[in-house]
Amino acid sequence: MKVVSMFVPCSVDLFLPDIAESTVTLLRRAGVDPVYHQGQTCCGQPAYNSGYRQEAKAAARHFIELFGEDEVVVSPSGSCAGTVKFHYPELFQDDPVWFRRATELAARVFELSQYLVDVLKVDDFGAAFAGKVAFHESCHNLRRLGISAQPRKLLAAVKGAEVVPMNQEDFCCGFGGTFANNYADISESMVQDKVENFLGSGADVLLLSEPGCLLNINGYLSRKHPQKKARHLASFLVENMKEGRS
Amino acid sequence: MNGSNMEEVMAETAREDILGRLRAAPPKTVPPRPHLPPMKEAELAGEAMVAYLMERLAAEAYTPFRVKDRREALDKLAQIVKEEGLTCVMASTDDVVAPLDLPAWGREHGVEVMQPGQFADRQEYKSAIFDRAQASVTGASFVVAETGSLGLVHGTDNPRLLTLAPILHIVLIPADHVVPALDAAVGRVFGQKGKYPSQFSFATGPSLTGDITGYLFRGMHGPRRVMAIVIG
Amino acid sequence: MKIRTEQFNQLAAVEIEKARVRPFLKMVPEFLYRKRAAGLPSLPDPDAAQAYAAAVRAEVVNRLPDLLEEFERNATANGAKVFWARDAKEANDFIVKVAKERGVKTVIKGKSMITEELGLNDVLTANGITPWETDLGEFIAQQMNLPPFHIIAPAMNIPVEEIRDCFMEKAGMETPTVDPVELGYAARVFLRDKFQGAEMGIAGVNIAVAETGTVINVENEGNIRFSKSAPKTLVSVMSLEKVIPTMQDAINMIRVLARNCTGQRISAYVSMESGPKRADEVDGPEELFIVILDNGRSKIYQDTEVREIMQCIRCAACLNICPVYRQIGGYAYGGAYSGPMGQALMPLLFGLDRTKDLYRACSLCGACASVCPAGIDHPKLFLNFRDKDVKQDPRFNSQQRPAKERMFFRLFSLGMSHPGLWKLGARLFRPIFNLNAHDGVVSRMPGPLAGWFRKRDMPAMPVKPFHQRWEELKDKKS
Repeated sequence: MKVVSMFVPCSVDLFLPDIAESTVTLLRRAGVDPVYHQGQTCCGQPAYNSGYRQEAKAAARHFIELFGEDEVVVSPSGSCAGTVKFHYPELFQDDPVWFRRATELAARVFELSQYLVDVLKVDDFGAAFAGKVAFHESCHNLRRLGISAQPRKLLAAVKGAEVVPMNQEDFCCGFGGTFANNYADISESMVQDKVENFLGSGADVLLLSEPGCLLNINGYLSRKHPQKKARHLASFLVENMKEGRS
Repeated sequence: MNGSNMEEVMAETAREDILGRLRAAPPKTVPPRPHLPPMKEAELAGEAMVAYLMERLAAEAYTPFRVKDRREALDKLAQIVKEEGLTCVMASTDDVVAPLDLPAWGREHGVEVMQPGQFADRQEYKSAIFDRAQASVTGASFVVAETGSLGLVHGTDNPRLLTLAPILHIVLIPADHVVPALDAAVGRVFGQKGKYPSQFSFATGPSLTGDITGYLFRGMHGPRRVMAIVIG
Repeated sequence: MKIRTEQFNQLAAVEIEKARVRPFLKMVPEFLYRKRAAGLPSLPDPDAAQAYAAAVRAEVVNRLPDLLEEFERNATANGAKVFWARDAKEANDFIVKVAKERGVKTVIKGKSMITEELGLNDVLTANGITPWETDLGEFIAQQMNLPPFHIIAPAMNIPVEEIRDCFMEKAGMETPTVDPVELGYAARVFLRDKFQGAEMGIAGVNIAVAETGTVINVENEGNIRFSKSAPKTLVSVMSLEKVIPTMQDAINMIRVLARNCTGQRISAYVSMESGPKRADEVDGPEELFIVILDNGRSKIYQDTEVREIMQCIRCAACLNICPVYRQIGGYAYGGAYSGPMGQALMPLLFGLDRTKDLYRACSLCGACASVCPAGIDHPKLFLNFRDKDVKQDPRFNSQQRPAKERMFFRLFSLGMSHPGLWKLGARLFRPIFNLNAHDGVVSRMPGPLAGWFRKRDMPAMPVKPFHQRWEELKDKKS
């Protein structure tokens, strides 16, 4: 059976472990054998985005050493996958050896829905949901990785679920990492708009594929509309599997 | 060194400084231009082209008319003059309008038709075109079906302010002046080096603005209405 | 105008409050964004047209000195007089000199962001010359003494009641009205004798065609055509990067610019000057001066990573789609240029030290880059500026980051490359983070994360992170 190495974002490891557990379930259901390197920490995205490229490089070297031999690396986060795919080669532009290693690894890194649908060609995980769902297009997935059709295919396979349109579904939710904390006025205004659009869509639950967006939107819902929730697509699929978790 | 020589030297220095800095910068190669698909409108011809133009004229808020020939065009003009209560207009002397002898025609229809050539200087001309002309009547060097744009080569026959200052502009468009796409200007207007018109304009419909709360309306500084009489 | 880029945070907070009250910020960028989306499909292949436009602009920026010399040669052959200005002072001094030599008392101005950047109006006024902004939005902003709110529609946020009051006080309007059409007509009437009487016109330049020495302006109102046609003297001011190789390139660019800006196939007027008027013409400028302005651009040009901001064609597509612009509007950016293009350009013109919030107040969503017809990747530029600050790159006056932040990322780096340390750190952090947890939720955490917790919760850190759960999961294969 094919072995797939899981790249679990630090935010998922520490705050949202159920997303990683669901990733394990989905990969096993799809017929591959997920493994998890205990040595993984953080891809370095916060450091890179704040301009700390030396620090990001340290994280990158560690990551490349750890994952460098893996045939396939899969992450339930487009922004983390994107950091490895696009920013790692950039960081090593002046270092031919590391640049080559980074570029070669980049080709083997996938976002979860992209891997399930495009590579494994599995979109039906036996999930069923009697209700309306809306989908938030995370910025990195949509614009950096070109991923939108894949999560929607996974959603379309959920029996009974009605995918309702949501106003401005491809608009940024206002997370942006440190932006959410350092420019809180603006970030709050953005997540408020996102939540208004979610509530206005009539959906029972808001689904998305990015842990950062999840923390942001659920953080605001928890405070202002505690009866409503957003879920990561992986968790949603597993929670609603007819046979329960594996 | 006297004052103006100093200034010239300063100006030269600025030029050399700027160009020098630009030339000293590191070079950068960029990818070659990708393929640009041509505009579909470039294939328009004949009646299909004129029909497409009529659609664009309507879409761009002209008041469009189509008539068979020069006779009907003049009848339409007479009708407009009457309905608008025009008593004083200015007409171009371009190849479309000149042959109509509008000043004479105007005398028969109770409207004074001024022409740019009759004014001795800028001041007189400006007074006439700003304050006296209730409308202008002109042709266009060519008219673009793709966008509904008048291609205006400005000069003594069709000066700049003529199609700009009056609140009403009436333009006569013979079918044989219609071209498919904007690119026509490249050869027709800018084809001969050193022989470019001092001003060339594309004018498309009445002036417009959305600057007040984003509310879009026609009629700002240029004409509020443009009546287009397509002939043929 | 006075630069207030250092006051971003205060200005932004104020503007967000106002945005709740004034609906225009919610409405107008969205309206323009939809217009753009509706207008692009009239091109046979919008993506190809955008990619082509971006390639042309990149080519231009990388051939800049040759194209500028070609432009100057051909413009001069047409009879125009070309003046090169290294900075605002040289440009302003030259324009004032030209005006004074010709006894100019009144100037009519077509919309020009460059002249905003130069602060030209104040300089003219100080020299006894009256400038009249004639673009409706700029006219309103000028009369109300406000900076531009949007680079294309500078006064779109001003409510009609305020415009009415302003026009009654300053534009000779006699009958009160809040109808935009009637307000527009009042402005037309008021400005008309300025068009007729002004001795000099000053306009910006949208496109300078190297092949023919032609300057092109794109507009809807007609005021730029007036500025270029009625007065005897015309000064066209362009920054270095406005040049385009051929007239065919210009036509292609006009198609893309109009659609990206307002969704139009072409703006109501596109006027092209190739030199001053000919001897027998009754209108048009007797003299055409073209000012080619540097003002910091040749410095930007030295850095091949950030040079791409010079590809900008000022269409405002990035403003209209930017979620940050939509929350705060143009004033918060503190300068003439707002939205993502302002966040990319102003740090390079004024220095990173004076604009540190401009390139940090961005979630890096990438919407701007996805619509830009000039191929600019704004978030990439912001990341470049942040990197320059950390490296203390002297080139654009970078500013050292706070010591606490530098320490934090040094520790973070240590953790990221040492799993044992990382896991220990997480274990130690958990009880601190969860101190005020209730029902699995943390609502309060004093200290550096106060911004988040103002209006948002976080989940409490689970006792067992995933890396511990894996040990059980890995053997439980189905």
